[in-house]
Amino acid sequence: MKKAKTTFRIFRFNPEKDKQPHYDEFAVEIDSMMSVLDALEDIKHEQDASLTFRRSCRSGICGSCAMKINHLTKLACKTRATTESSKHGEVLVEPMGNMPLIRDLIVDMGEFWKEVDRGKPWLVADEKMLSDLSRENLLTKEQIQTSSKLADCIMCGCCFSDCFSRVYDKNFSGPASLAKVVRFVNDPRDRAANKRISKLVEVGLWSCTHCYFCWSQCPKEVRPVEAISALRTLSSDSGDVSQGARHVKAFSDSIRSTGMLNEAMVYLNTMRFDALRDVSLILRMAYKGKAPSPFRRPIPKIDEVRLLYQIVKEGKAR
Amino acid sequence: MKYAYFPGCVAKSAAPELYNSTAAIADKLGIELTELTAASCCGAGVQDEQNPFLNVLLNARTFAQAEELHLDILTICSTCQGVMGDVKRQLDEDAELFSRTNEALDRIHLQYKGKVKVKHLVWALIEDYGVKNLESHVVKPLNGLKVAPFYGCYLLRPVEAAGFEDHAKPSSLENLITVLGGEPVRHGHEDKCCGFPILFVRHKNALRMSSDCLVNAKKSGAQLMVTPCPLCHLSLDTFQKKAEKEARTHIELPVLHFSQLVGVALGIEPKTLGFSKHMVSVEKILPHQ
Repeated sequence: MKKAKTTFRIFRFNPEKDKQPHYDEFAVEIDSMMSVLDALEDIKHEQDASLTFRRSCRSGICGSCAMKINHLTKLACKTRATTESSKHGEVLVEPMGNMPLIRDLIVDMGEFWKEVDRGKPWLVADEKMLSDLSRENLLTKEQIQTSSKLADCIMCGCCFSDCFSRVYDKNFSGPASLAKVVRFVNDPRDRAANKRISKLVEVGLWSCTHCYFCWSQCPKEVRPVEAISALRTLSSDSGDVSQGARHVKAFSDSIRSTGMLNEAMVYLNTMRFDALRDVSLILRMAYKGKAPSPFRRPIPKIDEVRLLYQIVKEGKAR
Repeated sequence: MKYAYFPGCVAKSAAPELYNSTAAIADKLGIELTELTAASCCGAGVQDEQNPFLNVLLNARTFAQAEELHLDILTICSTCQGVMGDVKRQLDEDAELFSRTNEALDRIHLQYKGKVKVKHLVWALIEDYGVKNLESHVVKPLNGLKVAPFYGCYLLRPVEAAGFEDHAKPSSLENLITVLGGEPVRHGHEDKCCGFPILFVRHKNALRMSSDCLVNAKKSGAQLMVTPCPLCHLSLDTFQKKAEKEARTHIELPVLHFSQLVGVALGIEPKTLGFSKHMVSVEKILPHQ
């Protein structure tokens, strides 16, 4: 098999002797079958035994070896070293983001698990179900399908590490936590769905920006951002009157009335009195000739749009 | 080259300079745009949160309108592109959703056949128009101007919906900046979020996101930034002064819409490109254009 020397540039920090983190470079012979984890093992065994990283199953199941590889968080065991080196010219390996650093490629995942826990990721069964344990409480195939993808989460932390919102918002519980909430809200055996939904605003439901990093980096295709959208629908339909929910409602009302986004009205309906904070900016926009008018003429054939709204409403009623 | 043109809401209200500069470059390049005037808003990922099926229906209606014209759709907004691309993905993957959608569209006498393609201008220039062809129209090359690309999340992710290039190492904007005579400047935030989706509901966080993107570009030596997304432009240009205040730093980095950058290289007048509508002055960087 063809082998080639590739540079691995690895983040290093030993709290016992380093004041600052630094990067070490290692030349490793890699072939097309090797994962980044294989290469890290080679470095550890042949070049520097002090290199520290987590790993266990080597099969993309346990989720231990999540780390940043060329700036994106991935499982090292599922990432082919040659793909990375041919794309980026080197393999840059760094610890996960959004969690405190312990040593080299190891971070304290307690912060991630604490956030997952805020979503109460366990089944809250009702008394009746628990009183008769002689009978199994099985789900139908259809019921399993609605939550099986979400149950595939292995809690590796890739989504949390690359979550751009979490960098700025420590109250945002993050993609994995919210995906777990949907997994239990969708489970007919769970009796805490309403309570779970009513707590969503507290855990930062409206902090997600839809940057889609959680979707692209999840090794199990859980697509947490889809789950977050689903929760926003549920929250809005369950009496959520926070700014986020008001924004969704105002946005949809705007499309129904004009077919387009009436930015001025959506802004005012979302912000209410908070809109005062942007008065000077709005005046400058008006001066530049780009302040959106609150009066927007409906698009041609707006009746078609309104009929589609009607059809969906009828479908829901049924 | 002819497209069913979907300019999106922002280009027709808070960013009129994008609408006008796109019309100007299409004219120069000989690209024919038939505007879908009866199309509705793409929903910007927000309508999907009100009702996902309604979001599919509204976009499928737009697709059906383009199919009636036998034209592919051209977008000039990363968000429109991402949302419409994702609805198309859902309809392509899910036969049951496809037929349920067409049942509803039948009531407004439309049908979505699944044939239309949705392309952002950035992709169309590379894939359909060709960079060589574009290069031959450049009359005022950017003279090595240092330009920071800023893609907008939806143009890159999710890969299943965007799919034009590798989101881990995007290069389309860099290639086009080079073709126009500029020097692309990588700054590490080209694929990040501008903060716009939470600008209303998490204002300070959004401003800190945009300021980090701008500061990084500036530190990397960029003289201006270019974005193919008018929502990013709102965050990065319109709200830049507020972002400066929030980050307690001076930034002053002009941000151009992608169509404007092409327009500069094609020799189109600054007045037509609408630079006077920018909050951060462009004239300092492009004085003689």
